[in-house]
Amino acid sequence: MRDGLQFRPMHIPDGILTNRIALSLDALSGASILFASRRFKLELSARMIPIMGVLSAFIFAAQMLNFPVFGGTSGHLVGGALLGIMLGPMAGLLTMATVVVAQALFLQDGGLLALGANIFNIGAITVFSGSAVFRLLGAEQASGRRLALAGFVAGWFSMVLSASACAFQLALSNAVPLGIGLTAMGGYHAVIGVAEGALTAGVISFLHKVRPDLLHRDFTPGFKLVDWAGGLVLVAIPLVVLVLAGSSGLPDPLQSLLAGPSSIADAAVSPLLSNRNQDLYRVLGYLALFALFAAIFLAVRWIRNRKGAS
Amino acid sequence: MKHSFIDRFGDLDSPLHVLDARTKIVGFTALTVAALLIPAGNSGQFFAFFFFIAILAGISQIPLQYVVGRTAVILPFVLLAGLAAPYRGTQRWAWLAALLLRSTLCLLILVLLTNTSRFAEFLRGLRKLGCPRIMAVNLGFLYRYLFVLSDEIMRMRQARDCRRVGALGTISEMKILGSMLGTLMVRSFERADHMYHAMLSRGFSGEFPVAAPRRFSWRDLAFVSLVALFIAATFYL
Repeated sequence: MRDGLQFRPMHIPDGILTNRIALSLDALSGASILFASRRFKLELSARMIPIMGVLSAFIFAAQMLNFPVFGGTSGHLVGGALLGIMLGPMAGLLTMATVVVAQALFLQDGGLLALGANIFNIGAITVFSGSAVFRLLGAEQASGRRLALAGFVAGWFSMVLSASACAFQLALSNAVPLGIGLTAMGGYHAVIGVAEGALTAGVISFLHKVRPDLLHRDFTPGFKLVDWAGGLVLVAIPLVVLVLAGSSGLPDPLQSLLAGPSSIADAAVSPLLSNRNQDLYRVLGYLALFALFAAIFLAVRWIRNRKGAS
Repeated sequence: MKHSFIDRFGDLDSPLHVLDARTKIVGFTALTVAALLIPAGNSGQFFAFFFFIAILAGISQIPLQYVVGRTAVILPFVLLAGLAAPYRGTQRWAWLAALLLRSTLCLLILVLLTNTSRFAEFLRGLRKLGCPRIMAVNLGFLYRYLFVLSDEIMRMRQARDCRRVGALGTISEMKILGSMLGTLMVRSFERADHMYHAMLSRGFSGEFPVAAPRRFSWRDLAFVSLVALFIAATFYL
């Protein structure tokens, strides 16, 4: 099903974000999932459970349906905006979060500690912005061109916003400067987003023609004042952590936990690596590390299998 | 149709596969966190981690080319960070090397974690570790219906390819793809209705039963203490 190697430039692997950013986004995403699932237990009928389950399988499968974009790369439907429009923000978030977790578990797309960041970018942002834009455009009762246009705008915005959030996190982690990140990620996704918008519009128009009852029924409980207050607190805490502590020189919370004599800041570098004329050796060294990995791997397996055979 | 892209090595038999899913989740997460904390330029520690994980991977019976091939996933991000390297002054190469090594290590650990359990057992482990029920149920349904839906997608793709001649314009391609996805979505909703009735009539409680679940045994204790010892040794010696 997966034709060869496919890059998913939105799924951040481990080791790219600094631990502080990754952990605060883990906290944010974990809290919002707990929050959404609590609301479900209280107010929702069991009818929603299979719908969310099958739709997460649908999104997972649909993301494997590629279309060529340009220069040999290919894009696919992300589907966050679509879910936000169809299911509302709460159920949409839970469904998208399931898809992101499954992608990390099955395909190793996105890291373990970076899961919070990925759920935030690919799940929360696309779902919330998609449904918000769709509702702001007043398209809930619309039909025909207006419906398609609103779907297109919602899909495009969801992609651009989510890519920009990713660029911001990379910049806060000091991994990629904001300018480069925004240009590379935002630009690429502004192009991909056209396809996302077109597909979102296509699916919504199709559903409006074939099963309008699916599009216009309201499953999820609406937002109440308590939810808005809770949501604000949820967003505010990591934001404070990110903005106030993220750029300061405070020691990393995890690093201070494990404060052994060797865990000094990244600034301390051995003289072996600081000579800049040895790029080739570094590349070779990295490849040699893999060769060594393979050698140990094969040796262990050989020993094990010989023991098993005798 | 053939589905071999998911969960493919969960049925192998190795000392790692025998462990309880909770042990693996906790142990490998701890290893990931530890790998993320290795300071730049500390080559001995990186080397120790690669050595340890190579041994675990060798024990696990997962094919070598799969384990190494999956590490290519990190390349786009490393390239992006490489673009930014000139802005970091004199320590840029050490920093880039540390970033590359850390993310490679974490990816190898993730491959080991996710390919040494059957998914149902993994889910049970997650549930016991406090994952919300609705997420666990969602993941279970995703796993159960993914194969059904991707079968349908493949059939639709085959039907489309049979009926069209040559390449169409991008807009017509998008229209076709939109209708395909829309059809699939309608079918998904209808399937969800059937599932709902099946759930009601069978008394589904929200848990997916596992045949002969693994228990926490001396092996698990040994694995956890081995990992803890290794981490402590590399950080404090």
